[in-house]
Amino acid sequence: MLVFRKPLPNIERPQMPADVVIVGGGPAGMACALRLSQLIDQHNASHPDSQLSKENIYVLEKAREIGQHCLSGALLDPRSMRELLPGFEKEAPLEAAVTKEAVYFFTQSGKFKFPITPPPLRDHGNYVISLNRFVKWLGGKVEETGITVFTGFAGSELLLDGDRVTGVRTDDKGVDKQNQPKSNFEPGYDLQAKVVILAEGTRGSLTKQLIARFALNRDRNPQTYGQGIKELWEVPAGRIAPGEVIYTMGWPLTTKEYGGAWIYGGKDNVVSLGFVVGLDYPDPRLDPQRVLQEFKKHPFVAKLLEGGKMIRYGAKSLPYGGWWSVPPLAGNGWMILGDSAGLLNSQRLKGIHLAIKSGMLAAETAFEALKKDDFSTSSLGDFQRRVESSWIKDELWKVRNFHQGFEHGFWSGMINAGLQQFTGGRGLRNRYPSTAGYQHLKKLAELPADGGDEAHLLGPAKGDGKLTFDKLTDLYHSGTKHEEDQPAHLVIHDTDVCNTRCIKEFGSPCQNFCPANVYEMVDDATQPNGKRISLNPSNCVHCKTCDIADPYQIITWVPPEGGGGPNYDGM
Amino acid sequence: MADTILVIAEQREGKLNRVSMETIAAAQSIAAETGATVEAALFGSGIAGIAQEIAAKKLAKVTVIDSPKLEKYEPDGVVAALKDFINQKKPTLVLMPHTYQVRDFAPQLATALQRTLISDAVGFRKDGDKLVFTRQMFQGKFAADVSFACPAPHFVTFQAGAFRGDKAEAGASAAPVETVNANIADGVQRNQPEDPFKEAKQAVDLTQAEIIVSVGRGIKEQKNIELAKQLAEALGGELAASRPICDSGWLPMDRQIGSSGQTVAPKLYLALGISGAIQHIVGMKGSRTIIAINKDSEAPIFEIADFAVVGNLFDIVPPLIEEVKKAKAGA
Repeated sequence: MLVFRKPLPNIERPQMPADVVIVGGGPAGMACALRLSQLIDQHNASHPDSQLSKENIYVLEKAREIGQHCLSGALLDPRSMRELLPGFEKEAPLEAAVTKEAVYFFTQSGKFKFPITPPPLRDHGNYVISLNRFVKWLGGKVEETGITVFTGFAGSELLLDGDRVTGVRTDDKGVDKQNQPKSNFEPGYDLQAKVVILAEGTRGSLTKQLIARFALNRDRNPQTYGQGIKELWEVPAGRIAPGEVIYTMGWPLTTKEYGGAWIYGGKDNVVSLGFVVGLDYPDPRLDPQRVLQEFKKHPFVAKLLEGGKMIRYGAKSLPYGGWWSVPPLAGNGWMILGDSAGLLNSQRLKGIHLAIKSGMLAAETAFEALKKDDFSTSSLGDFQRRVESSWIKDELWKVRNFHQGFEHGFWSGMINAGLQQFTGGRGLRNRYPSTAGYQHLKKLAELPADGGDEAHLLGPAKGDGKLTFDKLTDLYHSGTKHEEDQPAHLVIHDTDVCNTRCIKEFGSPCQNFCPANVYEMVDDATQPNGKRISLNPSNCVHCKTCDIADPYQIITWVPPEGGGGPNYDGM
Repeated sequence: MADTILVIAEQREGKLNRVSMETIAAAQSIAAETGATVEAALFGSGIAGIAQEIAAKKLAKVTVIDSPKLEKYEPDGVVAALKDFINQKKPTLVLMPHTYQVRDFAPQLATALQRTLISDAVGFRKDGDKLVFTRQMFQGKFAADVSFACPAPHFVTFQAGAFRGDKAEAGASAAPVETVNANIADGVQRNQPEDPFKEAKQAVDLTQAEIIVSVGRGIKEQKNIELAKQLAEALGGELAASRPICDSGWLPMDRQIGSSGQTVAPKLYLALGISGAIQHIVGMKGSRTIIAINKDSEAPIFEIADFAVVGNLFDIVPPLIEEVKKAKAGA
């Protein structure tokens, strides 16, 4: 019997007052904390009589160590970092400045190089980084300021009073599989905050609660997402230069899926490579981890990796929807940053610089609010105005219709992208609509039994153990670990749907889209279809794909006991 | 009259819990700042010997609260006895080690006296006339200062390791020991204590096993575990499993081999119906000889097996048990 995690009811919880609580210690949350500290320092230096304190500013981070759950390609556009910490290049852990770039269109065994690199994919001036190392460094800066980062603590619930967000409840620790307290039980804390800043990354769980509670998605395009699967490789010297950047489109995807690959050369012959698949593909049997394995079999990639060794694996989801999907960014007692708000440029596949910038603007807003002691919608609403008059809006406005263009396949997407390039992002109309990705899933009955043109993308990868890997082997390299004796944090609201409907209609796509083998249909003769949903929650890499892609929208990802999760290093 | 700090020491089955010495050390250092007198008490039946052990420390007095009803630990009886004793003794501060036993009765004791309890403190300081205690928050990231707003007696428990037991000062001469008989009325005790539960001597220490029979998903049903158990018994080895088996609750978690379980290196590792995902292999690849039985000839376990048996374990294991038994009987 599956028992799901929820905060224990009717228990007394320690209360702690706070000025600012930032949920999530990624690039957005850390930039926000750092900027806030800078502003307070400046203020205190010039106002000896009205000192502001940093003591009650807290960052909650569910990973055991800062940066451990951060994963990205990654290329960093340094624009916002130069504003936050001028001269940061001298001390930040950067792998390499981009030296060379190429875009290819792959066929099954051949390739075409784009004669010129399309402008959005020009990356000179950007840096190849490991996001988790970068954030670790940035988090160190935050801790130096005296702001406390609570690592190993997740935000499990928003505290509300009417239409005002009043704080955050952290995760209950020491709860067993049946949701009963163990001998080491420690209740979650209620952090009573003047302002809660949500910087949880894509599909944040508190952000999801907030959006649902206040219908923040009203009049917005549904958010659409991609799933990025990444492997880090060590290859023999001379295969790829540090700072060399390669993008590919085409194979192994067909024209019905949206996505592409990246290959970045880092230091010490380490290659970052990965595949992003739009979570709006039609065939529920598609397995994104398999897609990456098929991609590596392409002669161009296989040659690059030959004799090398896969050293790390990870996955995350990213928001593609663009400007028309961004919810209101602030309200009574709250602000939303970075990927949680969907501030990502899907055309350039970049969001880190926008996350950082949004964190800085939120810090400026929070600073003014602290001075006025006013955290109402009208005060924090300033964040919305700051974003809209910043280069975040300029950058996202130009690509506001980019991903929507691809909803009807690759070629119409390319034509739309071209049109938008010449019309400042407008294309044929100002706002293209979109549909949520899971609604693109087709039922098995409408699809060819043998998979048709997509057959090579469907079902689990086998792996040869050298170039390609089955999912469990890949997963091992994520280093993910959780306390085993705890309730499942993948909350399925109605498992009957899994056992009776989904298995027949869609063939249980959770088994395919989850990059960590969390979901499994196990034999059970008592079930009408002979199988029952079973979960391996401790495999989870916190990518949130299940919450996004499940066709019935009955899965809610909530944070497991703080400290659990992947152990990314160099990702 | 000087204030009294009362330390409630802990004994179980006639043995002093050493952490009590830490509490005595805590009481002595508080007394050094407040000028209070330190006394100790302990409860049980026929425990005068332990009292002598404590009396060697620098204490004004040691009281043994004795009753046959306290022979086995039972919280209602303990609370009744201590309540009477504290009411009569009127200490200002009652200190206890933060043990499982104390966690069990201390809240009830404080409530019975309509007082509050500061639990799991790690330190103290004097702030004017007030004693301020330190408690950890956010897994030790923060320390909170707490103090009592209610009248004495005040109850505090100290975390193990907060003070050093070897720093408990010895007295110039042994402290006087007094035994008082606790009068626990019939019917007060609502629990019938059984023999203390012993952790099943870390039931198995798989790392010490020379032969391990390990089962995986191929065993199919819980009732089939018996088959593997018989084989393990015949071989004189221990039974272990891969994660899905322990996850389903078919075997306890301490028998799980792999990245989220134990790492073993026996002389013989017999893998029954284990596919051999890397998460399992990292926990047993150091075994000297690996025999794998699996019906899937492509199972990754065969890559590291010394002997690979492709076939149905339900056909293979029963005759194997018979053969092992025969061979052992012959030898």
